Amino acid sequence: MQKLLFPFVSIVGQEDMKRALLLNIVDPGIGGVLIKGEKGTAKSTTVRSLHRILPPRVSVEGCPFNCDPSRPDRLCPYCADRLSSGGDLEGTEADMRVVELPLSATEDRVAGTLDIEHVLKTGEKKFEPGVLAQANGNLLYVDEVNLLDDHIVDLLLDSAAMGVNYIEREGVSFSHPSRFILIGTMNPEEGELRPQLLDRFGLSVDVKGDRDMEQRMEVVRRRLAFDTDPEAYTAGCAAESDAVRDRIVSARELLPRVVADDAVLRAVVTVTTSFGIDGHRADITMMKAAKANAALEGRGRVTKDDIRVVAALVMSHRMRRRPFEEESFDYEELERCLQTI
Amino acid sequence: MPSDDLTGFPFSAVYGMEDAKRAVQCAMVNPRIRTVLIRGGPGSAKTALSRAAGNLTGRSVVNVPLNVTEEQLFGGMDIDATIREGRAVVQRGLLSRADGRILYVDDVNLLDQRVLASLLDCVLTGRVVLEREGVSAEYPCDTTLIATMNPSDSDISPHLLDRFDLCAYSSFPDDGDGRAEVLRRNVEHQRDPRGFNEMYAPEEEAVRSCMVRAEGLLPLVTMSDDLMAVAVELTARVAADGFRGDIAMVNTAMTLAALNGRDEVTRKDVEEAAMICLAHRRNYMPEPPPPEPPEPPEPPEEEEQDDDDREEPPEPPEDDRDDDREDDPPEEDDGDDRQQPPEPPDMQDLQQMLDEMMFEIGEQFRVIDYLDDGGRVIRRTSSRKGRRAMVESDDATGRYARSRQSDDRVRDLAFDATIRAAAPYQRTREHDGLSISIKKQDLREKVRERRSGCTILFVVDASGSLGVRKRMSAVKGAVLSMLRDSYVKRDRIGLMAFRRDSAELILPPTRSVEYSYRKLEELPTGGKTPLGEALVTVNEFMTSYSRTHQGEMCYIVLITDGRANVPLREGADANEEVRKLAADLAIPQVRWIVIDASSGYIRFDNAERLAQELEGTYFRLEDLNADRLAESVRAVIR
Repeated sequence: MQKLLFPFVSIVGQEDMKRALLLNIVDPGIGGVLIKGEKGTAKSTTVRSLHRILPPRVSVEGCPFNCDPSRPDRLCPYCADRLSSGGDLEGTEADMRVVELPLSATEDRVAGTLDIEHVLKTGEKKFEPGVLAQANGNLLYVDEVNLLDDHIVDLLLDSAAMGVNYIEREGVSFSHPSRFILIGTMNPEEGELRPQLLDRFGLSVDVKGDRDMEQRMEVVRRRLAFDTDPEAYTAGCAAESDAVRDRIVSARELLPRVVADDAVLRAVVTVTTSFGIDGHRADITMMKAAKANAALEGRGRVTKDDIRVVAALVMSHRMRRRPFEEESFDYEELERCLQTI
Repeated sequence: MPSDDLTGFPFSAVYGMEDAKRAVQCAMVNPRIRTVLIRGGPGSAKTALSRAAGNLTGRSVVNVPLNVTEEQLFGGMDIDATIREGRAVVQRGLLSRADGRILYVDDVNLLDQRVLASLLDCVLTGRVVLEREGVSAEYPCDTTLIATMNPSDSDISPHLLDRFDLCAYSSFPDDGDGRAEVLRRNVEHQRDPRGFNEMYAPEEEAVRSCMVRAEGLLPLVTMSDDLMAVAVELTARVAADGFRGDIAMVNTAMTLAALNGRDEVTRKDVEEAAMICLAHRRNYMPEPPPPEPPEPPEPPEEEEQDDDDREEPPEPPEDDRDDDREDDPPEEDDGDDRQQPPEPPDMQDLQQMLDEMMFEIGEQFRVIDYLDDGGRVIRRTSSRKGRRAMVESDDATGRYARSRQSDDRVRDLAFDATIRAAAPYQRTREHDGLSISIKKQDLREKVRERRSGCTILFVVDASGSLGVRKRMSAVKGAVLSMLRDSYVKRDRIGLMAFRRDSAELILPPTRSVEYSYRKLEELPTGGKTPLGEALVTVNEFMTSYSRTHQGEMCYIVLITDGRANVPLREGADANEEVRKLAADLAIPQVRWIVIDASSGYIRFDNAERLAQELEGTYFRLEDLNADRLAESVRAVIR
């Protein structure tokens, strides 16, 4: 039985973190979120709570790699075989999931490995899917991402970059689609993240504990109420949770129709340039995030407000900074910049 | 004392340790309190208490040995069953046995940090997710973790510490009567365990029924908004990060009310809760800033939120005083001022001025490779040569990361991978009566990985002698330059400072260089030079640190002018003491680098001599500057 988790809608404050997560669910192409922050600020709780509001998705029935039948270009070898031999790919609907990558995971279980059972029974080699297979089309959550072993990080980076997991080990040669929303949480006191991995995250959020007494008390009250009777508490949040989920579902439907005109395009570039950000990844990500934000707000057109909302999420971890400089986002600069547009 | 003799030791017979007992009881009664840490010196009955808690509640205790592997703890593949049954069979770990029981970890700070992080996550979420070595499984782990540690050892990192709901300090009773009583009870228990238990049976029963009643009462306990505000306020006052402190406070206060047979939380419950919820969450508070520094040194431009809280002069109101006393870990900050030898009245003001002065970080530069001894190590005797040599990493240490086909002789067999490699051929091979036939080409060996980088502990002399000439700015500049260097190389950095009469670990080794930067900026200067004390503190810390970080090379960079003036023993010659200490120090895996921070025309050779005693490398501060060094070389060539 799935243990009840603290509901997403009951998390007090932390609006940036919630927004960044929702944007990614609306458009997985944004490239994930890195959540940095001091200990005990509901980072893990929030990510784990997402399962209740995740939208449904279609995947091939019985496929261990959760292939998407509408994307024949992204099929695993089994589904591709079935399709090319004239078979049909039966789709089945299920909610997206939060797949967790435990810190103690070993390489073979992350990437997948030889199916021992199959080998022992038949003497034939067969691939056994790992976490990256489960993660396909889902959220992949890595807690303490900065403590993850380097060679596991490499695996994640490869898959995240290509959308495909290639396995060449123990005599197994295999590849399957692995597109996931990468969510990492970390406590920066424990050490920083490798720059390659940092850059891979579409958005980043810095969370801080709330210092406001009233808010803190509200946090405690809600937690207490939940712990006392999880079933009743979750039931009490059902309507609100459904509303958030519906909002995501409609945003996902709206997203392809969201328009961003040339002015918006120019605004995005103006902002990234004035913050001195190199490369196009930030521009593209900001565009995607702004569109997702418009869709989430139920608007069919991107406005300056969308850029205002997503700018810090997109840029704060991409700003060139020398080591030892405080990482802080200059909101005034952003405002000045937006005024000129 | 062997633990066997204590297994039957009754909870109520544990002398004193009221906080620890309270913490354990709370955790036993309230399932929302899952992790308890007991900090106490050796012989302070930490273990006895944990076992007694098991006896009391009828939950058996599952012990986690420190050398536990991740596979044993979380689970892995059951090779026997896998071969027998012809399918991958999961072997659950120790944690599955802890389900419904008490999980006990002794000396938890010596456990590998990553293992501890995973362990705490499993206990707090009540489930174990296993993705290891060819098996994937998930199983429940509903348990209460009781961990103990010796406070004089190196600490757990603050963010792991925060995951302990409660933390109690237990101390060995220091009055003669108390000690006598502890001894008396122990002797009696050893002589006649059964009789001893009978004697305590009524008390034990009272505790038990109190806890049973509390369990029933707990759902009915209410807490007023005012008291909740007090709880939150107290947490804020110790500048605890995040919300775990708040939540623990409220949970604990309610549990204490239930244990006292009440259905309403009182102020006393909140205060008692604070003692076991907040001590370990207290953020390091530097000594309160001086009322009005005469020449306000440039404060850091960006006022961080944390800093604000910390710099707020803590005004402990009457109800808070108890906490403060309890909160203070053994190292007392407050005592410093009192112990300082009295100065002439007018000098005192000046001293005050010099004290606490924060110097800006001075010039930074590209540093030479100061960790490479390059033959500069001054060895006193060749017989001691091996003592501080690099610990040659032996192949069986480190984490089993993956396996590979070995081309030569297999030394560290990866059994699982070997079986996997052999598995496909079992049907076709001759078995010779063996259940599984392994050929040479199946053999796989383990590839083990150790932490990359190394640990560098900067030990900075922050005494007044460096402050007067603004030498401290230069020192800070040099330290920062070295930090920058480490940032690039991903080393672990720690920072310790000594001044007045104590040495203080300001930052335990961390990979986050930004934190060390901030700490460096805040570092105040002034007072005398307790170099001896610094060596003692470094020795204690690094000895236990190197024990938990096997195979990691550690460097201690001591930045000082080498002129000690605070003896460890009253009336002793401080410098003589330092020399003796330095000569006797033998910390495994550690190399010393002494950087001479003295300046001026008359150079003392104290720092250089210190380097000799420590068998370390010696540099002058100026020599660290790679560019300047290059310049001087160029000048010579010309």
